[in-house]
Amino acid sequence: MIKRRRFLFAIAALLPVLAIYAWVRVMPIAEILRLSLHRWDIISKNKPFIGLDNFRELLGDDLFVTALTNTAIIAFGVLAITIPLSLAIAGLIHHRTRSRFAGVWETAIFIPHVVSLVPAAMAWKWIFDAKLGPLNALLANVGIAPRAWLFDPVWSIVCIIVLCSWQALGYAVLIYLVGFKNLPKSLYEAAELDGASGLQRFRFLSVPMLKPITLYVSVVTLVSGFNVYAQAFVLASDSQGAPGRQVRVLVLDMLENAFRNYRVGYAASEAVVLLCIVLILTLIQFSLLRERRRS
Amino acid sequence: MIRYRSLVNSLRDIKIASSDASRLNSPVSRLAAGIAGVLALGASTVNAEELKVWSGYPELAPFYERVAEGLSDKYPDLDIVVEAIPLREHEKRVALGLSSGSAGAVVVELPKSTASRYLENDLLTPAPEDVVAAVKDSGNYGEFFVDAASFGDTLYGVPLFRGQGALFYNTAMFQEAGLDGPPETMAEYTDYADKLTQRDADGNPSVSGWSLRLSGGGQGIAEKFWINMFQYGSNLMEESSDGLWRATIDNDAGRAAFAQYLDNVHVKKNVTVEMPADAEAFERGQTAMFIRESWVIGDIAAKAPDLEYATAPLPVGSIALPANLFVSAEGDVAQAAWDYALASNEAEHLVWMLDNVGWLPNRGDVDYSSVLDVTPALGAFVDYPEGYEFFTLPAIGPIEEILTRVAATLTDAFANADLAGNDSGIDETLAGLEADVNKILDREGLLAE
Amino acid sequence: MTLAKHESTAKRGSSIVDATSPVHRMPTRGRLRTRLTNLAIDALLAIFSLAMIMPLVLLVANAFKTPAEMLAWPPTVVPDAPTLANFRAVLGDTPLLRWIANSLLFAVLSTIAIVATSSIAGYILGKFRYRTLSVVFAIILATAIVPFEVYMIPLYFQVQKLGLLNSTAGLLVGYLVMSFGIFLIRQNVIHSIPDELLEAARIDGAGELWIFFRIVLPLLRGALGALAVLAFFQAWTAFAWPLIVATSKDAYTIEVGLALFQTGYTVDLGRLSAASALVLIPSVALFVVLRKNFVEGIAATGLKE
Repeated sequence: MIKRRRFLFAIAALLPVLAIYAWVRVMPIAEILRLSLHRWDIISKNKPFIGLDNFRELLGDDLFVTALTNTAIIAFGVLAITIPLSLAIAGLIHHRTRSRFAGVWETAIFIPHVVSLVPAAMAWKWIFDAKLGPLNALLANVGIAPRAWLFDPVWSIVCIIVLCSWQALGYAVLIYLVGFKNLPKSLYEAAELDGASGLQRFRFLSVPMLKPITLYVSVVTLVSGFNVYAQAFVLASDSQGAPGRQVRVLVLDMLENAFRNYRVGYAASEAVVLLCIVLILTLIQFSLLRERRRS
Repeated sequence: MIRYRSLVNSLRDIKIASSDASRLNSPVSRLAAGIAGVLALGASTVNAEELKVWSGYPELAPFYERVAEGLSDKYPDLDIVVEAIPLREHEKRVALGLSSGSAGAVVVELPKSTASRYLENDLLTPAPEDVVAAVKDSGNYGEFFVDAASFGDTLYGVPLFRGQGALFYNTAMFQEAGLDGPPETMAEYTDYADKLTQRDADGNPSVSGWSLRLSGGGQGIAEKFWINMFQYGSNLMEESSDGLWRATIDNDAGRAAFAQYLDNVHVKKNVTVEMPADAEAFERGQTAMFIRESWVIGDIAAKAPDLEYATAPLPVGSIALPANLFVSAEGDVAQAAWDYALASNEAEHLVWMLDNVGWLPNRGDVDYSSVLDVTPALGAFVDYPEGYEFFTLPAIGPIEEILTRVAATLTDAFANADLAGNDSGIDETLAGLEADVNKILDREGLLAE
Repeated sequence: MTLAKHESTAKRGSSIVDATSPVHRMPTRGRLRTRLTNLAIDALLAIFSLAMIMPLVLLVANAFKTPAEMLAWPPTVVPDAPTLANFRAVLGDTPLLRWIANSLLFAVLSTIAIVATSSIAGYILGKFRYRTLSVVFAIILATAIVPFEVYMIPLYFQVQKLGLLNSTAGLLVGYLVMSFGIFLIRQNVIHSIPDELLEAARIDGAGELWIFFRIVLPLLRGALGALAVLAFFQAWTAFAWPLIVATSKDAYTIEVGLALFQTGYTVDLGRLSAASALVLIPSVALFVVLRKNFVEGIAATGLKE
């Protein structure tokens, strides 16, 4: 009887939370899947079922392909910079962890991750500015001609990658630091006694043992890279007041199709593509991790 | 083309009426009497209700508020809330508000191209008789404007103002370059741009001779390109039979316009993508001339009052984008809404709008000379030559999508130096654009054979 | 591994992770070498850290520059003639404070909602092992990896149907629950609240609610603190959702307001910087104050493994 009461309590307490969760999480996900198979222009009452037509159209849509390509380049670009750099920085900080400055380095590196996105992007937009930005000033001292970074088709993407990496670094460094802490010290002491240098210890001990963390940080960074929006919006926007070269990213294309072209079903199909990408990346991570554990 | 000719005739009516306001027979007083009558009818039976005024032009907020104030005597209990937000946001909130019915009683400012989807779906209220009388029967609005506020034969809105393009040029810079007047043909535009561009020690332009819209702003690029194409004799799209359209980009006009852009950007280097552009550049003296709408006049007066500039009509004609006030409301407040729409067209308010904001009122029988005397720059918009032609954006559902796509392609194309002087590349780009537009038209069932 | 252990090592001036390097066991020459290496590493880290915060420093510096100095080339780091004009202009002309208030209210309410829902759900799912609840947990797991951007459009229409656009309530709808929060609390509950404790309380006659509020919650304080900070910053820095939900100027959150600042016809760099600087300061201040909790929270996400 007590057992039954406990069960009832569990259900009763959980129900409101579940209800909310169902409403704000489960239903919209189901709805986006459903909408991707229909056509809806927000205004009319009917939403005809059109099967996979939206997806078929996506394949041939230049703007979507551009968006997908740009987004993928940005995501993997951020990954390529963040992982090695954060691993190295975390290693260095960990090595000096007893110095009184360790906390200072951590804080400084972590601050970009927590400040509001938009002001940070504004800061970088000014840095990259062709006429007024300090980047060009710095390069001029070294003899490199000034460039309109944010207008160039290639460099504008690089700028976004730099901005996103700058923001992502703090998080990755922190996670790695936790990882470093949990490494078995005995192994290191043994290696040192065997004559391994700091760098060797890092390469042959730390890096392999931190693989799970590397995988985790990789997936998190990749997934948030695919969702990039605010940074592209600010840095590479093409507003009349602050012209730049608009870098088309997935979320931007999706929102444009939904709210500017009034094609919600089509936008939904883009969302589903994004979801599939994220799912695949996550699955790869899990399977890789499981393999490791087994070996 | 017949439509365009009658537009020219009706637009001529907008020119300064020779003022003798004491003539009681004049259309002015007839309209005034009409309005007064309508206002008197709708005595304030509206209690503590809210009427929203939705606009896509924040600079018009003071205008709408003036109109609201003028109605406060008549409707003391009515709370008129003016919400003027940037155009993109405005379009979005209208889409969501009207389709869900959550907008409440609202006066919505829209051009016909955006309004057509709501008209098709019965989301806007047809105009009541007194409004029809004031707009259609009085003959004070050109046929072009009445048409822009109607759906088929039914009037749904009250015309208010229009966007129209003209050339803005810096007279001081022109004088220095030895040019004594505005360019009058497209060839002269490039010519003058060559002479007006100021360069730094490395030969790069520091002040652009002609500021072209090369990047930024959703569909603006496509619109500006269309304006240039129009000077060469073609529209971006043509309506063949009733309601069906076809893209007309891959032709001589398209090639000429496109080549001119590429020429100025990559060959002559009179302007580049990263240079400051548009009104802001003009106000700061960073460009010698550019084509834009009349609101720039008010902007210059506010931000660069000492700028020496003048305006001139374009070689062939211009875009004209009429905006109207539509209504979505029921019951007593609907009457107030229509009264608001009509009140916004009172001579006093229209003159104020022309004077202080710079958008061009569509009503024909009002005396704007007082404003023109003070701001002669408006002359290019109201005093255009005989045979001046106009075009407007097609009132079809996917027009925004079409223009946005064209803009995206053009942005890349303009930045591509390899296309300059490359005839086959130019042809390919234009053919691609045409195919893209036709694909969208086809998808929506609007493609003509 | 509990978070309590981390707390004790978070001394001022040292990092949250600790390690030992056998410096004291080395001969003198080796010691000098170590010292030099350490110095080099310190220098490198110093330069890197400076580079990391430089953009923000420049932004704040810009806020104090006069319009003329903004256009100066090459750009200056420290303003020659610092002025407060930009701040005055931005505070006077734009509803910046209103936006900050909007963001604050949204973030605080979202934090409360997330902490509440996560603690309840985490506790129940952690301690009440029934088969139905395992299914529930599996569903939560499955939907946890879906990024918000994927399903925000249908959610938007939900909010619109309820007439909650442009309101804090509307913004909240997207940020009422955090799947990770539920995980975190569940992990914590499983690892740091022994079943025996709860059984003992039950045998003593305590009601379930009493157990939750008087035993479970206090034990979860560390985790809840970390979660609260995570939730707060997630809401504070949200962008895409507020962009589509809060479309009237008064209802903007600070991120959206600043981003749209630059889409007007003209943009004033000085004012923009001033506005951005004004927003940066609370962000940084909050972080410095809540750093410990923050770091624990972030570290906990890594412990999910």
